[in-house]
Order: sequence, then structure tokens, then C-alpha cells
Amino acid sequence: MKKGTTILQANNISIGYNNKKENNAIASNINLSLKPGTLIALIGANGIGKSTLLRTLTGIQKPLSGTVVLNHKEVMDYTPADLAQHLSIVLTESLPPSNLTVYELVALGRQPYTNWVGRLSPEDHLKIDRALQLTQIQHLSGKRHFEISDGQLQKVLIARALAQDTPLIILDEPTTHLDLQHKVNVLRLLKKLASEEGKCILYSTHDLELALQLSDELIVMTPDSVFQNTPDKCIEYKVFDGFFNDEGITFDSSKGTFIIK
Amino acid sequence: MILGIALLVLFLVNISLGAVRIPLNDVLQSILGGEASKTSWHYIIVNYRLPKAITAVLAGMGLSVGGLLMQTLFRNPLAGPDVLGLNSGASLGVAFVILASGLLPAVLAEVFLSPYGIVLASVAGSFMVLLAVLAVAQRLRDTMTILIIGLMFTSFTGAIVGVLTYFSTAEQLQKYTFWAMGSLGNLPWHVVMLLAIIVLIGLTMSVITLKPLDALLLGERYARSMGINFKRTRFIIILATSLLTGCITAFAGPIAFVGLVVPHIAKLLFKTSSHYVLFWATILIGAVLMLLCDIFTQLPGSSFVLPINAITSIIGAPIVVALLLSKRKGIFN
Amino acid sequence: MRKLYLLLVILFLVFAGCKNDISHKGVHAEKSVNIIKYAKGLEIYKYDGFTVVKVTRPWPDATKGFTYIMQQKGAVIPDSLKESIIIPIPLKSVVVTSTTHIPSLEMLGVENTLAGFPGTDYISSVKTRKRIEAGNVKEAGANESLNTEVLLDLAPDAIVAFSINNTNKTLNSLEQSGLKVIYNGDWTEQSPLGKAEWIKFFGALYGKGKEADRLFSKVERDYNEALNLVKDLKSKPTVMAGALYQDQWYMPQGGSWGALFLKDAGADYLWAKSDGTGSISLSFETVLEKAQNSDIWIGPSQYTSLSEMKEANPHYAQFKSYKNKQVYSYSTKKGETGGLLYFEVAPNRPDLVLKDLISIMHPELLPGYQLNFFEKLK
Repeated sequence: MKKGTTILQANNISIGYNNKKENNAIASNINLSLKPGTLIALIGANGIGKSTLLRTLTGIQKPLSGTVVLNHKEVMDYTPADLAQHLSIVLTESLPPSNLTVYELVALGRQPYTNWVGRLSPEDHLKIDRALQLTQIQHLSGKRHFEISDGQLQKVLIARALAQDTPLIILDEPTTHLDLQHKVNVLRLLKKLASEEGKCILYSTHDLELALQLSDELIVMTPDSVFQNTPDKCIEYKVFDGFFNDEGITFDSSKGTFIIK
Repeated sequence: MILGIALLVLFLVNISLGAVRIPLNDVLQSILGGEASKTSWHYIIVNYRLPKAITAVLAGMGLSVGGLLMQTLFRNPLAGPDVLGLNSGASLGVAFVILASGLLPAVLAEVFLSPYGIVLASVAGSFMVLLAVLAVAQRLRDTMTILIIGLMFTSFTGAIVGVLTYFSTAEQLQKYTFWAMGSLGNLPWHVVMLLAIIVLIGLTMSVITLKPLDALLLGERYARSMGINFKRTRFIIILATSLLTGCITAFAGPIAFVGLVVPHIAKLLFKTSSHYVLFWATILIGAVLMLLCDIFTQLPGSSFVLPINAITSIIGAPIVVALLLSKRKGIFN
Repeated sequence: MRKLYLLLVILFLVFAGCKNDISHKGVHAEKSVNIIKYAKGLEIYKYDGFTVVKVTRPWPDATKGFTYIMQQKGAVIPDSLKESIIIPIPLKSVVVTSTTHIPSLEMLGVENTLAGFPGTDYISSVKTRKRIEAGNVKEAGANESLNTEVLLDLAPDAIVAFSINNTNKTLNSLEQSGLKVIYNGDWTEQSPLGKAEWIKFFGALYGKGKEADRLFSKVERDYNEALNLVKDLKSKPTVMAGALYQDQWYMPQGGSWGALFLKDAGADYLWAKSDGTGSISLSFETVLEKAQNSDIWIGPSQYTSLSEMKEANPHYAQFKSYKNKQVYSYSTKKGETGGLLYFEVAPNRPDLVLKDLISIMHPELLPGYQLNFFEKLK
């Protein structure tokens, strides 16, 4: 994929819930363009509509107006099997009880490519090994998924998305339950995957300050607008002023952090 | 494989043991197309024990696979093939025929009081519940709600049956109770063939769902992201399980515990999460377990036959308790 | 399947009727008369060499019955009847399924043909118990679940069964194996003489029709003689029956076998007017209110002593019949292995039951009488 070619594009969409009585638009006039080789952070206060935006971008929910285009085709027109080869996800919800080993879990990422019975070909095994390598968790291969720490599990789930071999990976709050060191680890890994493997990685987060330092681009959701640009430009355009609905929390441009009075 | 051999051996043992003592030689002669020393022995082997053993194998296979499907779909290790409430529907249907035939309108009464009345009533009851469950499944996204609705059906139909038993005579009650305890025997060959065909269809449908079930181990959201058409998969899973459970219950009564326990045994023995491997393991273990239980229903030489449900419960309940007490985090994550 | 069968039979009969009568002389069944007088669910027609037995009410609410042709050796069955179930008689081995069938066999002297019985412990008869102990009567399971293998191995000439509807898996499977299953409907009979008349059913199975007729006529005579005793009564004692089970008092309804006996015995059964042939479940208060002062208490379920009753429920002591020790139970007379004599023998000997009851209700009519089935509880 040539750098510069847009993978996912949102054309003037408005997102929200289609109630039978009226359209409840949570946000409108959203224009986004996600390119390969970029790590993009989706930031916004609680309740602003980050989840809704993610659901709309991944085709789970229909936009109230406008179109979401993935690789020249509207997201809603993809069959689930097709879509699975273009887009993979990483979530923070806990997994149902099972005895999956780390290897088996990562191997599930190959489902869109295996035959009707799910048999893994030699090529599938190669991709799985590569994914384990990139996330540096080969030593955990034989362990059950409930025997490892949360931070390690996060990496396992990322490896699974890697095994799925999609140009676009979307993560829902991957850093939320981790301590600072692990947060940084995960973000460094994601950045490496974006730049070295050419993936387009979009993740939502509350860790604004880390995102500012480690992401290539930000998508900032405020009550007034949805703004996509590099961290520097975001600060320059004073996007974070009035970010929280609290006058006691202000953004300090020079430090790149929020100050509490 | 060891399981395959165990299956064959147990099948032979099952046919050899029964109320009437028949020497092994005669048993072998009978099934290999020869004649036994006594014509009644030949008849017993070929027309009573053989169909019964095959029914046991079919029931074991069908119910166990149903259990496997239900446990993964509902992410509940205590789900059995009857968790959708189908067996309760069947029980209600049969209860009406046995306990309350007076309440049925004359037209229906004619149909249900024929020799296959109980089978028809059981199928009708299961089918009603199935329709209700599918209707609900189409409208709901949440799988857990389907589980709860299934449980509610079970309670509801159980209550109605309870009321009906209150107003029945002793003979009616005994007949219903005996039906509810399950019975693998007394099915004519053409019925066993029919059962075999339906079970085969159900099992084939289940095979299609094995790959999506693997994906479902991570939950519905992940499964969808890997390309699984969840609604369609769920529909096929429910349909396959209903077919398997419905036909087995119709002909052999509601059989408890087997469907619940066998998938766990399979997982314990084979230590894999791959539903493809588990499918085959479950089928074999299910057949073996059922044959074993059937052997124990007939204390050899005596004329007392214990109902199959008593044996499956006696063997199944301790296994379930052992599972619950198991320290393996896998179940309780 | 049954409907198709029936259609074929009808077609056949139509065709058979269309043919010229001449060619059928001798083989054509001349219409005979039903010899049954009291039983409502049984019809017997005697012909030369065979007997047609119709069980018209095999279970309550049955929509159709069964027709059996008891065929003696060498007898010719007319074509019109060939579609019915033909039983070659006399039976050399039989399996029966109710203890009430045992006295019939014994009275006809054919108890040696009994090859198996479900629940042999229930049988009280001394003669048959000896045969059971000697291993001549095989244990055949329980009525609702006869042991298929045992029956297939025994291969009796006939199985006299009863079922509450047409869907008994085991019986169907036995029929398919070629065994003859004969449904007996004597348990749906309510009138005392009607029930006893079923001995003629067994008579037909053994070619002992005349003997059965004779035995029944004697019972009928004795019964009517006893009835005569209570023809002109000045007063009738009030009678209550049954007992509590869980929270329900099961009181026999006016049309039931037990209640009809009470009527014939010249008793004023307090629930004689209730409709039905089973029991009604009443609350304790209802029974106490209506029957507190009843003179006699008949058949308090399974109790065998007054103290046992009081222990089970102290409120029983509230009844006048209890206080006056006028409680008569049939549960004390049992066989060696616990089977109740009353349930086994009474249906065949209504004359004895009637006399028992008359002796209880009007002791002065039968001085020196020893009770056969009942016993005054102490």
C-alpha cells in the first residue's frame, strides 16, 4: 500500500442513533481521512460519542448522513467475511471462560483465511509466528489466556489482530487498565507496527498527554467539532481549550498537559 | 483410537446383557446373520437389543453435540441441550396427551391418541417452544436474554404440568412419570432408521457451525470482526440443537445430564479448544457413556429395569459437582 | 395406519356382502346374541367353534374398542371376521397384568397357565404364591413398563393387559413381535355385577365359557339373595368413606364401584348423589361438616388401627364413627407379601363384599357372619 493512499475515509458524516421519532445526531459534519503507516488517537471527554464514532467507522452502525468508505467501497456494503480481511479490532472487554492457549487465541485471527473447517495451512502458521514475534510474546505461546497478566493479554489480543493481517486495526481504549509503564509499552508497540509494518492504527484513549507524545495524528472530539490533525497542529489551533466542561481544568500549550487550578 | 475401540466393545457388551441371559455365542450368531439356539433369543437380540443399542448411540451423540453447541453459544458451562426449553415444551405436549386428554378438543384428541400420539405430542410441544425461541432470537441481539427466556419457558411449562398432575389419576401419573424417566428400548426398526436420519442431519448442520463456534470463544464482537455472520450462525446452532434434542426426546423421552456432561469430559480429555476436535471427541464419548448407562439400567438376570434418566443422573450429577468444585480457573474466569 | 386398515375392512365387508349368499352357507356367521347382561364394556357372542369377544371400553373415554376372535382348534372363521385379532384357544400360557385377574384364573382352574406377572409381590392368593415361589411365575416388570425381554423370552400365548390409552410403547413393540396382546377393560366397569361378569372374558380365553357362565350365575344368585335381605328396611345408617391424603380427602363419587356397593347394601352414603365414577377431593372441613355424625366409616385408605389414624391426624377423632369405633377397613387382610386381598378378590366376588357390607350396616340380618374383606378397626 503506497503511503499516502487513504484507507478509511469519512465523508461529511453525522453520527447518532436513529430513533423512530427523530434523528439524534451526536456529532455532525465529520470528515476524516486515515492513511497507512499512521498511529491515530481518538480523544474526547466521556460521553462525547467516541464509541458511536468507532461503531460508525467500523460499519456496526449506519451514519445518519454521509458515507464511510473503506478502500473505495462503502463500509456498509462489505460482507462480514470480506470486511474481516480489511479491518480488525482489539477490545478491552473480558473474554468468556475458555481454555484457549495464547497460540490458539492468536491463531483465531486467521479465521477469515482458513477453509470451512478452520484448518490452518503452513502459511497461516507463518503469519501467527510473525505476529507473536512482533509483539514479543513467543515465550507465552503455551500458556492459557487466563494465566497471564492483563498487560500480556493486551499484547496477545494485538497479536491476534496482527495475525488477521488487515491494513486497518482499531483498538478500543487499549491503555485504560494498565499502569504507566505498560501504557507506554503498548503505545510504543503500536507505533512500531504503524511505521514498520505500514498498518493504519486507530485507537481511542483517555490518556491525552501520552497520545500527544506518541501518536502521529489525533482526532479530537469536542462539543463543537471533530478535528483531525497532528498533535502540534491541534495544540496550535487551541483545540483543547474548553475540552472539559470545567473552568478549573485548562490546557497549557507549552507543557502539553492539563493544569488543574 | 482408544475411544473407537471402547465404543465397539461397549456396543457388544450392551447387546449381550439384558433381563434374559443369552450366551455370547448366540449373541454373535444372531448379529452375524446366523440363528441362535432359541428363536426368542434371536428375536430379542435382533429386534430389541440391537435397536436399543443403536438408539443409545444416536441419543448419546445427538445430545452431547447439542450440549457442546449450547455451552459455547451461551458461554455457560452448565448449559445442556435442553437449555432452550425444548424438553419442557415436549413434556407439556406429552402431559396434555397423558394427563389431560379430556381437555383436548376432539379433533386433536383423535390424532394424539393414536399409537404415535406421544411422539407427535412431544414434537408438537418442542416445535412450539422452538418457534417462540427463534422469534425471540430474531428480535434480540443479546444471546443471554435467549438463555433466560429458555429458562422461563422451562419454569412455565413445568408449572402447568404440575397443575395437570394434581388432577390426574394414579395410572395417568405413573404413565407420565415413566415417560419422563426416559426409555431407549421398544422402538421398531423403521423408527430407529428415522431417528438415525434426523440425527445425521442435525450432526451435519452442527459441523457447519464448528468454525464460527471457535470464533465465538472470544465473544460475539470479536467473532463478528473475524467475519462470522453471527445471526445466521446462531440460527443454525439453535436449529441443529433443536432437531437433535427434539427428535431424541420425542422417541426416547427427555434424557438428562448426558448433553451437559459429555462436552466437559471431552474438553478434559483432549485439552483443546478446537471445536472440530471436540466434535468428534464428543460424539464418541457421548455414545460410549450412553451405552454404559444403558447397560446399568438392566441389572443382568433380573427383570427390574431402572429408567435411563435415573442412571444418567446418578452418573452425571457427581461429575457436575466435581466440575463446579474444580479449581481450574478456566471455568470461573 | 389404523384408519387405512379400517377402510380396507369396510371395503371388504361391502364386497363380501355384495356376493351371492348361496356360496357362503355354513361359513356365514349367523348373528348370535350378546350373552353379557351387566358389564357395559364387554360383549361376547358364541358361535360354532369360535367366540367373538368385544372389549368396547378398554379405557375411560375410549373412542373405539377391540374385537378378539377366540378360535378353537380347527374352527373355521368366516371371511368377514378374518380382519379381527384371532387368538387360538385354549391358552396354554398367559401373562396377566392385574391382581384382579388371578381369582378369575383360579376359579376356572387354569391358574397353572400363569407364566408371568408384573409385580408378583402384590399377589395374595396362596395357591399362586406357591407357584411364584417355585419359580413358575416370572417377574415381568411393572405394569406401565413391562420388561420386553422377559416377555419376548416367555412368549406366552397371550398377554392380558390394560392401558390408559393407545400409546403404550412396550405393548406396541410386543404386538409387533407377534405376541397376542388382549386389552382388558374390567377396571372401567363400575357396577358390582358388571365387574364380576368379566370372568366370562377369561372363560372365553380357555374355552370354558359354560364353566364361567355357571360360576357367574352363582355369584349373581347369591348377590341378588343378599339384595333381597335389605329390600324392606326401616332405617339406613349414614356412611362416610375415604381419608385424607396430603391435604385432600378423597371421597368416592356416587357412580363409583365402592359407592354402588354401599347403595346396594342399604346404606345412606352421604355422597351418593355426587356424579362420577372416581373420587372427589374435598377439604377436611367439608367432610367434617357433612359427616361428623355419620354412623359408620368405611374404607379409611391404608390405615389398619385407630391409633394409627389418630397419629396420622388427630382430627380423625372428631368423627362420631371414630368415637364409637365403627370404622371398618379393608387394608388389614393382606397376602404374605403385602398385597391387599380386597383389591385382588373383591371384583370377582361382589356377593361376598355385599354380604360383608350388609353385615356391617345391618348386623341383625346376618347373625354369626364372619367378614371376608373388612375388619372393624381397634
